[in-house]
Amino acid sequence: MADFLVFEGVSKHYGEIRAVDSVSLSINKGEIFSLLGPSGCGKTTLLRCCAGFEAPDAGRIILDGRDITGLPPHERKVNTVFQNYALFPHLTIRDNIAFGPRMARWTKGEIDKEVARMLELIQMEDYADRKVTEISGGQKQRVAIARALINRPQVLLLDEPLAALDLKLRQRMLVELDAIHDEVGITFVYVTHDQGEAMGISDRIAAMNRGRIEQIGRPVEIYEAPRSSFVAAFIGDTNFFDGIVTEVMDGPYCRLRIEGFPDVLAWNDKGLLPGNAVHLSLRPEKFKIWRELPEPLPNRNLVQGTVEDVIYLGSHTKYWVRVEDYRLGLHQQHSRYLLDTRPITWGEKVWLSWFADDSCMLERYKAEDENLLVLPDTEAEPARA
Amino acid sequence: MKRSRVPFYTTLAVLVFFYLPLIILSVNSFNDSRYGGPWNGFTVRWYVRLFQDRQIWHALQNTLVIAVGATVVSMVVGTMAAFALNRYRSRLQMTHYGMIYAPLIVPDILMGMSLLLFFVALNVKLGLFTIFLAHVTFCVSYVAMVVLSRLQDFDFSLMEAAQDLGASHWTAFRRVMLPLIMPGIAAGGLLAFTLSLDDFVVTFFVAGPGSTTLPIHIYSMMKHGAPAVINALSVILLLVTFVLVSASRTIREKLS
Amino acid sequence: MTTVAKKKWHEWLITGPSFIWLLIFFIIPTMIVFAITFKPSTPFGGIGDGWTLNTLFSLRNPNYPAIIWRTVWLSVVSTAICLLLAVPCGYCIARAPKRSRDILLLLVIIPFWTNFLIRIFAWKVLLHPEGMLKQALVFLHLCSPDATLLYNPVTVLLVIIYTYLPFAILPVYAAAEKFDYSLIEAARDLGASHFRAFRRIFLPGISRGVWTAVLMVFIPALGSYVIPDIVGGPGSEMIGNKIAQRTFVDRNLPHASALAALLTLAVMVPLMITLVHHYRQPPVAPKKGKEAAQ
Repeated sequence: MADFLVFEGVSKHYGEIRAVDSVSLSINKGEIFSLLGPSGCGKTTLLRCCAGFEAPDAGRIILDGRDITGLPPHERKVNTVFQNYALFPHLTIRDNIAFGPRMARWTKGEIDKEVARMLELIQMEDYADRKVTEISGGQKQRVAIARALINRPQVLLLDEPLAALDLKLRQRMLVELDAIHDEVGITFVYVTHDQGEAMGISDRIAAMNRGRIEQIGRPVEIYEAPRSSFVAAFIGDTNFFDGIVTEVMDGPYCRLRIEGFPDVLAWNDKGLLPGNAVHLSLRPEKFKIWRELPEPLPNRNLVQGTVEDVIYLGSHTKYWVRVEDYRLGLHQQHSRYLLDTRPITWGEKVWLSWFADDSCMLERYKAEDENLLVLPDTEAEPARA
Repeated sequence: MKRSRVPFYTTLAVLVFFYLPLIILSVNSFNDSRYGGPWNGFTVRWYVRLFQDRQIWHALQNTLVIAVGATVVSMVVGTMAAFALNRYRSRLQMTHYGMIYAPLIVPDILMGMSLLLFFVALNVKLGLFTIFLAHVTFCVSYVAMVVLSRLQDFDFSLMEAAQDLGASHWTAFRRVMLPLIMPGIAAGGLLAFTLSLDDFVVTFFVAGPGSTTLPIHIYSMMKHGAPAVINALSVILLLVTFVLVSASRTIREKLS
Repeated sequence: MTTVAKKKWHEWLITGPSFIWLLIFFIIPTMIVFAITFKPSTPFGGIGDGWTLNTLFSLRNPNYPAIIWRTVWLSVVSTAICLLLAVPCGYCIARAPKRSRDILLLLVIIPFWTNFLIRIFAWKVLLHPEGMLKQALVFLHLCSPDATLLYNPVTVLLVIIYTYLPFAILPVYAAAEKFDYSLIEAARDLGASHFRAFRRIFLPGISRGVWTAVLMVFIPALGSYVIPDIVGGPGSEMIGNKIAQRTFVDRNLPHASALAALLTLAVMVPLMITLVHHYRQPPVAPKKGKEAAQ
């Protein structure tokens, strides 16, 4: 069901700061929807407006056809998993989980039955009578989820639920969270600053920046077809180019002139005309690196450069290659046994190739978004001279 | 790395300094000599006399009545003050904080003196009631400070969590916040109780005829005769202190 | 009612009781002290009509400078000695292994909670002219049989230190316990001597505790009354004794008020210095502070 949870022009200001700036979005029933963005982008404020901890200055929040904007937290069929879990330290695991049902005055039999079912769902039957201080971080996380889910909310809000866990545990919890979602089938709204988590778990993602939504889409859309330089740079790594269309080819391609770089062929999905300015994003894994000049193909770009930096990461290697004024970052997967080959290394002259279809034209471009890229700059100045 | 031994020896010396007079005092309480001079043989007669002294029992009763009253009132008023200081950031609270803070640092004698003048100016009859008023005045500040420090450690997302799970504001306060800051309120109350039990200077200024408390009684015994009985009383009070302090520490360790 | 008005009303509701209580029983009485300073006294122990500066002039009585001077030096010296002892003690307790730390802390806290009249009285017993200490000292030929250990300013100093030392140790300990000792190792690694690492790294690191300790010793020492009254003689009176004497013996309330006002102003000096040092986070100086209560 579409339009299950709808935000209509929601704004929230703190003094001069616009934490959330007229955000509108619609979340479907049963999906995992992520709000992804750097800290301070307004994603947590938006979540807190939905939970009822903050009142928006403008706009409406509609859940299942009902306007919930003005309701206090305890009257919303919405529950939250807090960033630091906010488990009650004076209660046992069982009493923490039973807190919501007791507030709603369920019968004792019903509470016992449901708590037992929840403990089973999170596989913590043996820990029911422990204190909160006696369980590990991952276990606290699971209790926090059970404590929220037992109330049968229409929407479960998760505020950076995995931020306090270490990397390995985070990945395991992500899989578990997905399994729990499959089991209960309710709508999850997931707030995170970690693109990996968002990509891994979400049906759809809203990328947020400075209180506004930059793009909403499935993870693959967000990654492959970012609309703005912010989305391209915040989610994954990329290379930016800015140029001018010199020639529109037959079919969907165009030729670009880029200052300080050879001319390139690009997929012209925006129907640009000669003379139009264009910003291009090209993901590092789209490149192929060659020691010898490969055979030219009609829609394949080919440039020559020098390897400046190499970072070997096991499954793949990151290269930084100087091509005229540009310094390109690229990934090379190792599908073969590496010791049997002679890997390309620092200082070598190499050829880079990529297909014109693999670059993506951006609608909006801001130079400052390049700061979000994690490429190291050995010369301590921007890649473009 | 080699550590200096100076701190260790200083601590040892300080502990000897702390306990030597108390030990001599305890030994002397069994000394069969009226003015605590040379050893005259073992006796428990000072203890017997202590338990027969009706005035001491009366003074103890006064002290306890005042301490209980002052503790209850200052716990309520002080806890409210701490909530106000923690919750609001206003000019009023800055003034309020100053008013709570000042009694903590003003010497007892000034507080006693000013309250005496105040009661005299209003023609209030000095007695148990004026002592009670004075004790509440300094106890409120201590309770407020202890509860405030507990509140500052309180994680307010717990309140949000409770409301998120269906508790109204008041229920969340009662079911989550109160149980969690209760140890702070109890600690503040215990502090207020002990301070009230112990106070001599302020009490001395605002006490009237017939409102003798235990510290005042001890003081007058010290000034006029009967030192051997004070020895015995001191030993008993020392033991009570020791038991209470150890017990409260043990209970706290068990809880945490 | 609007939300703002409701919030304001709620704030007043929970601020009111303590605010009004302290206004009536603390602020107004303190102002009365200052007011009565400028009132004439009557021969019958009452307060006369009109206003006068006579009381202030009478403070020039040659007795007073000596008493004020004695009060100040006793307070300064006792504070200094307390700090000198409290810093190594606090450090030692904070650095001790868990079990011994608990025991040491208990040993410091017990005197802290013990009735202070009894702790003063213990010294009177110890220093009694026929007491064990005196006999031991005479036996060892460390003092003459006629020497009196009691009733002089040095005894007062000793007992002030004894009384307030726990109040100095506990805040220093609380700060020393939170101190990150790898900083000292870092300083030593960078070439600082033991002493320099202590002075340049440790002391600044625990400064909040040290300032609290200063307040907790210096201010009550300035207001000492019972200690000189019990173990001091006529030559070791402090301002507190004069206030009590003017109040209870001479029934000269304006005179007592003038002295109390003077003492209040004297207390303000160290307090302001500390507040300037710790703007926004004034150290709490409870006589039996939260360190012990919790």
